[in-house]
Amino acid sequence: MTGMEILLLVAFGGVMLTYILGRISSSLRNTFAVVLSLVLVVIIALMYDKTGETIFYRGFFGIPMSFRIDALSWLFAMATSVLGCLSVIFSLSYMSDRKNISFYYSMLFLVNAGMLGVVFSGDLLSFFIFWEIMSWSTFLLISFNRGPAVAAGLKYIIMSIIGSMAMLAGTISLYTNYGTLNIADLSHLTVSASPGYQLFLLIIFGVAFGIKNAVMPLHTWLPDAYTEAPSPFSAVLSGMLTRMGIYGFLLIIYVVVGAARFLHAADSTVSSFNYVLAWLGAITIVIPTFIAMLQNDAKRLLAWHGIGQGGYMILGIAFGTNMGVAGGIFHTLNHAIYIVLLFMSVAAIQYRTGGVRDLNSLGGLIKKMPVAFIGALLGICGLIGVPLTNGFVSKWMIYKTLISGRAPFLAFAALIGSWGTILSVYKFLHNIFLGQLPEKYRDIKQSPFNMKLPIIVLSSTILLFGILPGLPLRVINKIVVSFGFDSLNISLWGIVSESGMLNTINLFAAILAGLIAVWLFFRIGARTIPVKQDDNYAAGAAVPRDRYSYTAKYYDPLFRMISPYLKDIFNTFYMKIADLTGYLSNGIRKIYTGYVGNYVMYIVLFISLMIFVQMKWSPW
Amino acid sequence: MDRNQLKKWFQNPVKMAHKYSLHVVYFCTGCGIIEIPPSITARWDAERFGIIPVATPRQASLFIIAGYVSLKTLRSIIRTYEQMPEPKFTVSLGSCPINGGMYYDSYNTIKHLEKYIPVDGMIAGCMPRPEAIFVGVTHLWTLIDKDMADGYKRYRSNYSAYRANQEKILGKLEWPPLFPIHGEE
Amino acid sequence: MHIIELIFSPLLALLIGVFFLGLARKVMARIQWRYGPPVTQPLIDIIRLLSQKSASHGVAFNIGLVMSLAGSLVITLFLPFGKIAPMSNSGGMLVILYLMLIGPLGMAISSGESANPNASIGISRKLLLAMGYELPFLLVVLALMTAYNTTSITEIVSLQRDTGWSMFTFPLVLSGIAYLLILPAMLGVRPFEVVNAPQEISSGPLVEYGGPYLALATLQHALAFFIGISLFVNLMWGGAANPVIFFLKMLVVFFLGIFVNAVFPRLRIDQAIRYLWRWPSLIAFAGLILVCVTGS
Repeated sequence: MTGMEILLLVAFGGVMLTYILGRISSSLRNTFAVVLSLVLVVIIALMYDKTGETIFYRGFFGIPMSFRIDALSWLFAMATSVLGCLSVIFSLSYMSDRKNISFYYSMLFLVNAGMLGVVFSGDLLSFFIFWEIMSWSTFLLISFNRGPAVAAGLKYIIMSIIGSMAMLAGTISLYTNYGTLNIADLSHLTVSASPGYQLFLLIIFGVAFGIKNAVMPLHTWLPDAYTEAPSPFSAVLSGMLTRMGIYGFLLIIYVVVGAARFLHAADSTVSSFNYVLAWLGAITIVIPTFIAMLQNDAKRLLAWHGIGQGGYMILGIAFGTNMGVAGGIFHTLNHAIYIVLLFMSVAAIQYRTGGVRDLNSLGGLIKKMPVAFIGALLGICGLIGVPLTNGFVSKWMIYKTLISGRAPFLAFAALIGSWGTILSVYKFLHNIFLGQLPEKYRDIKQSPFNMKLPIIVLSSTILLFGILPGLPLRVINKIVVSFGFDSLNISLWGIVSESGMLNTINLFAAILAGLIAVWLFFRIGARTIPVKQDDNYAAGAAVPRDRYSYTAKYYDPLFRMISPYLKDIFNTFYMKIADLTGYLSNGIRKIYTGYVGNYVMYIVLFISLMIFVQMKWSPW
Repeated sequence: MDRNQLKKWFQNPVKMAHKYSLHVVYFCTGCGIIEIPPSITARWDAERFGIIPVATPRQASLFIIAGYVSLKTLRSIIRTYEQMPEPKFTVSLGSCPINGGMYYDSYNTIKHLEKYIPVDGMIAGCMPRPEAIFVGVTHLWTLIDKDMADGYKRYRSNYSAYRANQEKILGKLEWPPLFPIHGEE
Repeated sequence: MHIIELIFSPLLALLIGVFFLGLARKVMARIQWRYGPPVTQPLIDIIRLLSQKSASHGVAFNIGLVMSLAGSLVITLFLPFGKIAPMSNSGGMLVILYLMLIGPLGMAISSGESANPNASIGISRKLLLAMGYELPFLLVVLALMTAYNTTSITEIVSLQRDTGWSMFTFPLVLSGIAYLLILPAMLGVRPFEVVNAPQEISSGPLVEYGGPYLALATLQHALAFFIGISLFVNLMWGGAANPVIFFLKMLVVFFLGIFVNAVFPRLRIDQAIRYLWRWPSLIAFAGLILVCVTGS
């Protein structure tokens, strides 16, 4: 029994055990959940730098099912388990006053186990099975809150099924062509595949992974799902689950099809697919980022950013140079860290304010919840890509790739996306934490320790990866090399490429020195007197309570200019299709009356029609 | 004007800076404000002496109350004065803040402004012309030089009395006391 | 030598920035037929502000402003001033672009914490204006980086020594024009002085700053002025081999900005965005296409 089998056994065994323990006692279940998630982290951490493959089941119609581990799956598994663990710790108090908590935890573990199964799958059959486990348990969790959440979950699962069906078709086609589904074998066999077949594979799997990763025309499930899911699960959903799409893209483009071999070939379909994918990524960056600016719901705003940031990853991995792919993978990891942090900050606010996430009714919470503020601040810094945060390094790598790859228009899309991000995330930060504190939140308390802990851990990770990007890049470099690219020239604190370099430790030293110098200069000045928010300039009048803030319509001048162009036409289109399907199905239901006499009549009519046709034209 | 005497700058830079960088918040409800535009624009050009109008009391060091003070505006004057950072100076313009002027018998106008906030200098006239304002400013420089422009210190030490006067005429104030209030409970 | 440059160049930048602020007031006064304050007036103001006891609205109110000034100081280490560019080997144009965010972001956090709606409106306008000019500016920068095939600003400067100033070389002419059109917006001078509009929104983000805070904000403003001008000179006007020539070039750009500032009224924010997204963006876009077509 190898490590991977133990791991999956623990992961799936924990699902049932959590539920059973929950029936006995809730504190026992909570302890078990934390321990289980920690055990998963430890087991995966121990598997660092291992590669291998084991067959665990041969009986599925003769198709062997196997697990494999390499640097790529280790990285994704590690991120999954750590974020899952933090999410469980965070949920302890967030979910404490809900119903069906045991179900929630066991589903959380099932999603986690499904994701671990996906990344450790050695063949496309088990990949598909784990993918489905993951998708369905996600559906149950998205719909956990009932009400509008059920509609959001349905939207998700229908799109997910469409993706899965595409994937299934691709898998069957591979099996009929090559007689194996083992990924390692396939990567050797597809060398000889015709360009058309490669394109077919890329497109059909691309639909599946594009839906999961919410690439632009296939993104419509995401905003609703992120908004309606319970907040700690929204974090997992945005951080890792959606990014299984990136894992899938990497797997299909660089492992199964082995694109590194074809990218520089003149008549390759792979490079044209990648080119189209890169442009889809660019569109995915720009439009959702601007839509996010218009949102007034904290989680929906983050959800649109989730889509937009997915575009950077797609752009990076589709551009297909060693630095681009590394940047794409690194951005996936970074995005997971900061978006989980942001969702957790929102959840901490929701927990203390009774579920409020409307940006227009909050404000001034920095004095009451400083830890959540620091989390949100570092989160948005990572999201924008402010230097010294992790997002900066990965975005830098992606921009660098695009500019030295002479694709300035793609680079422009990526850069303008970043600047659009600033607008909406500043609104997010300002409307929740800055400005005047409303009267009704005057007595609000700090979030409990188990909510602070994940926020602190993730915040420090953002800075750590931003100052010493070499830590994760070392692993990512291995992945890139295993795809058949050249090794990147990285050190612990920077990247060197032929056209310029980045040295984060110098940057860190300079900014630190600058901060200290300016702080000392500031201290030279006269002492400052702390005042309350009521002592504020209001043209000589006393500050009107609860009315002295500017939050609603924060970017109104821009809003009026661009909102006519930013309708989610794809969503409208899909909903139209859904309505049409419902209408047609209703028509069909009219025929199925449930009365046996009618069915007999249909049969008699049909047979008489057949007899009539045979007698008149005798086609048979 | 001793702005160009470097020796004084080295001896006491803070005092010199206070003299030659008077950022003014004008209180524009009285008729005196009509004299301010010529004094800060091309005709008399107050910026020569570093005097510029600013938007909020937080940024200011000089408070010019231009004309008569009604009960309603007194509230805002006190609020604005308290929000200015120390050291701060107050100058009133015209006769009305001194003794009520032509509104000496009005039920709604303050007769003695210095009962409610400390005033460092008063420029008499109805209205004083811009030249008089500049004379007032040079007097203020002298006062700053001799440490006699100490209105903010008087406000701090006599805060209880000032607050009592304010509450006597305005009723209960919406904002908490700026300094701790001593005196009988 | 390196250490001296590291300490010296931010101080030099501060000095020049403050000098520009003073000169701006003097020049504006002469244009308006006034005598005007002495050129050292901003220094006098800063000394006075440092001695005043201001109100503080909380920790983020202090830290944000400190962060803002520190971020701007760090940029001056990356920008070549003549040949002085002590940290240009730690990152290029992309790092500068992103470091330019720290200043406004720190200011935004600090003035957001001051809990005054005027400040919030100011920040909202600031970000909108930034969105307005960043669109053409990024196109210009990308055109430059594509044309010179590098992201290092020192290389862009040194390549201009061979090929001539980018403003006047063939494929970059359009980008140069676009940059000139957006320069007033980047410097925040009058037709685009929507952020600190004292008459409309009580000087916007600065509304609650007094004393040392306003001193820091003044220095930050001075540095932003310096960075905006220096970036233009470096990117479009070939930089310079020695600091004196560089300073003279900066002075010329500065006077251009001040003349525009002196004669224009203020635009509304939506008019500003509409202007910036129309002609400058179209010209910059055409410039980028021109570079892509003629290059490679």
